[in-house]
Amino acid sequence: MTLFRIARKNIRKNFTNYFLYVASMIFSIVIYFTFVSLKYDEAITAATESSQKISSVFNAASVVLIIFVAIFIWYSNSFFTRKRKKEIGLYSLLGVRKKQIGRLLFYENFLMGIIALFIGVLLGSVLSKFFVTILMKVMGYDVIATFAISTNAIINTIIIFILIIAITSIYGYRLIFRFKLIDLFQADKEGEKEPKASFFIAVLALIFIGIGYWLALQNILESEAWRKIGIMVTPLVIILSVILGTYLLFNTLIVYLLKLTKKNKRRFWKGINIISTSQLLYRIKGNARTLTIISILSATTLTAVGASYSLYYNNKGNAELANPNSIMFIQQDEHLANKVNDKILQEEKHQIIYHKTIPTMQIRVDTSSLNNLMGESIQEYTFISTKTFNEMAGLQGRKDRLSLEGNHAAILDAGYYEGLSPEYVGSSLSLHVDSIAEDITFKKLLKYNVLNTKTANITVVIGDDLFSKLEKETALVNMEAYKITNENNAKEINEVIESILPDDASFSSFYNDYSLGMETSGLIIFIGAFLGLVFLAATGSIIYFKQLTEANSDKGRYNILHKIGVNKREVRKSIAKQVFFIFALPLFVGIAHSAVALTALSRLMQTNLLIPVFICIGIYMLIYVIYYFLTVRTYYKIVTK
Amino acid sequence: MKTILQAKNVQKVFGAKGNVYKALEDIDLEIKEGEFIGIMGPSGAGKSTLLNVLSTIDTPSAGDIIINGQQIIGMKEKQLADFRRNQLGFIFQDYNLLDTLTVKENILLPLALSKVPTSEIKKRVEKIARTFGINEILDKYPYHISGGQKQRTAASRAIITNPSLILADEPTGALDSKSATSLLESLSMLNEQNHSTIMMVTHDAYAASFCKRILFIKDGMIDVEIHKLQQTRQEFYQKILDVLASLGGGNI
Repeated sequence: MTLFRIARKNIRKNFTNYFLYVASMIFSIVIYFTFVSLKYDEAITAATESSQKISSVFNAASVVLIIFVAIFIWYSNSFFTRKRKKEIGLYSLLGVRKKQIGRLLFYENFLMGIIALFIGVLLGSVLSKFFVTILMKVMGYDVIATFAISTNAIINTIIIFILIIAITSIYGYRLIFRFKLIDLFQADKEGEKEPKASFFIAVLALIFIGIGYWLALQNILESEAWRKIGIMVTPLVIILSVILGTYLLFNTLIVYLLKLTKKNKRRFWKGINIISTSQLLYRIKGNARTLTIISILSATTLTAVGASYSLYYNNKGNAELANPNSIMFIQQDEHLANKVNDKILQEEKHQIIYHKTIPTMQIRVDTSSLNNLMGESIQEYTFISTKTFNEMAGLQGRKDRLSLEGNHAAILDAGYYEGLSPEYVGSSLSLHVDSIAEDITFKKLLKYNVLNTKTANITVVIGDDLFSKLEKETALVNMEAYKITNENNAKEINEVIESILPDDASFSSFYNDYSLGMETSGLIIFIGAFLGLVFLAATGSIIYFKQLTEANSDKGRYNILHKIGVNKREVRKSIAKQVFFIFALPLFVGIAHSAVALTALSRLMQTNLLIPVFICIGIYMLIYVIYYFLTVRTYYKIVTK
Repeated sequence: MKTILQAKNVQKVFGAKGNVYKALEDIDLEIKEGEFIGIMGPSGAGKSTLLNVLSTIDTPSAGDIIINGQQIIGMKEKQLADFRRNQLGFIFQDYNLLDTLTVKENILLPLALSKVPTSEIKKRVEKIARTFGINEILDKYPYHISGGQKQRTAASRAIITNPSLILADEPTGALDSKSATSLLESLSMLNEQNHSTIMMVTHDAYAASFCKRILFIKDGMIDVEIHKLQQTRQEFYQKILDVLASLGGGNI
């Protein structure tokens, strides 16, 4: 066990050198463990049991997290071993056998892994409590104070990380066999070659990204390209094409552009430009893979966070769209309706803003004349008169007023989806009520309803004359509609009314939809933000690590520059310029990618994602800026030491 | 003749209380315009320290240094950088070329930093490349050229700003004898024809024999000073070897 002892001693003596590596391992473990704990947390499982979708979101997210964590640990591992090649070479030079060195590295890595795992799980247990609290809060639950460390989560985490640690340890073991002694000593001096850039490949980069963007922005339902490639395959084509294009962009296009700027001597031969440009040119190709990964990660993060945030952000709007009235139900029994009314009046938390009893007709119609793509052709529509509509629209603060003559009608469809819903305007529909048969023609489409969509159906507004004519032949259905104050905090009154009314009263309330939305979208935004934050911290750290390695190998260059008379301000400026490029490029590309993805998404969901997405990008950029200044500072310190 | 460099009572002390090491004892030195002066001495004598102090890369613990009429002690960092860029040219043993720049870009770097117009830069680079015979390799990168070519590139960079003083630190240390001779001849020529003032630190008697005057440093003090005067290079070389032998430090 002497070898094991050397390994242990090695770690103890050089702890500062190992710190970064261990810290990034701990970081990964804490993140993963916290997330898995959430997955197994009883309170959350109970809360989300109802929704199969949510648990699959959790599962998918944890797979993404595993992949990501593995990449991140791999990355810091190779960063770490690269720094130690010389030391390993020294052992070899002193006559330690390769096999022994290999075993030494294996033990060492394994030992660190186990320590990191222990600390990670410990920290994670504390943090997961904190995150559970936040999660319950955004989901709109009262915080439950129970806290138990889930053994499932611990077992899950240990299995995953032992696996990752074992793989990196084996990699460390094999390191010594893969290199000649001389290579280990010259690891830092690996001569960087002047990068080449072909015009053809530079153009290819643009073409690949262009194809990806173009496909993504097609209308999925009508696109020829999507149909030909296949609905399932196209997203894959888009992703691959964009990733490949991004790689070529960094690998070639940027190199090509930098070379072009070098041609302009008047700019290039001016001050520090000559240094920063050529440094960048040299580095960018070696960084292409990292920059690609970072761009793609940023794009994914922004898209995921943007989309989930917009769900959360739009939740209120969606609940309002579905429930223009705070409370609504079908009045079947006047006695019950009065009871409900009394209860609402009694409730001190809420004031009634309006209360209406709305006369409607529920009529089954054959919608085959509308070219309905979705659902059955026989549907029940709710009919109201123009007078009712105008009154309700007025109460709900809508600007539209209708006046319909003869057999003209308007349709209120809050779930209208361009391309999927029927083309109402201009179409006709025959109504058969008892002996009367009337053909009505739709003159107008409104993409909202004045009645709650869970109580009423898609609503047709007809002229007052026609309404009273039909009214005589069919039973009127009266609907009760309330608007109350404080409607998004109406849990109690909601429960009271639900207990009074029978199921077929089709009770619907703003609060029900709103709280349900908060629950699901809260969870989704939490997962989105969680992953986003992890990715963000990781991408920032990757660039930070990478830049610091470069700073160390740039020390000599800056020393030369110092000697030939470059002052500190100029050095700082040159560094700031260089690092800015490395930070801004992937961020910019990531934003561009996610902008396209979100545009496509917002078309698909027919919602406006602009504001939530801007907020996300803003936060993302802000954190990036902090990383940027931190990196410039440390870089500067390293090269001027 | 104009005095380019004047150093008075220059001292340099390393270390702190209790463990003090005096690298430079008390150096007085004067270099006139057009001189080609060599600094010799055994290892640890303080040659490099002296060069670093004179070249403003390091600051002396005491004493005055005046270069081309400017007092450099007490200058701000920015002033010092500008001073180095405009007044001094450096040639180092390990070339100190930037491997991210082509030969041409390495040479013109000081001019670019001083924001000299492009046309002027082009003219000067061409002229210097001709002097040092490196026109052919201007567009190559440092790792593609030989040690001798690298050192000539470094020398070109050192003189492109027409500095008042060229400082060479073991410029032939890493060169084979043929490249070394060729470089030394170029420096001599520069000194003869352009009246460039050159100060060279070396421990190689052969390289030193190209100088006109040589100071021998021992234990942080100027020990002996010899002049070439009308001697041939061979005679001067002999004399240098004699002095080195008498110094006892050997010529290492």
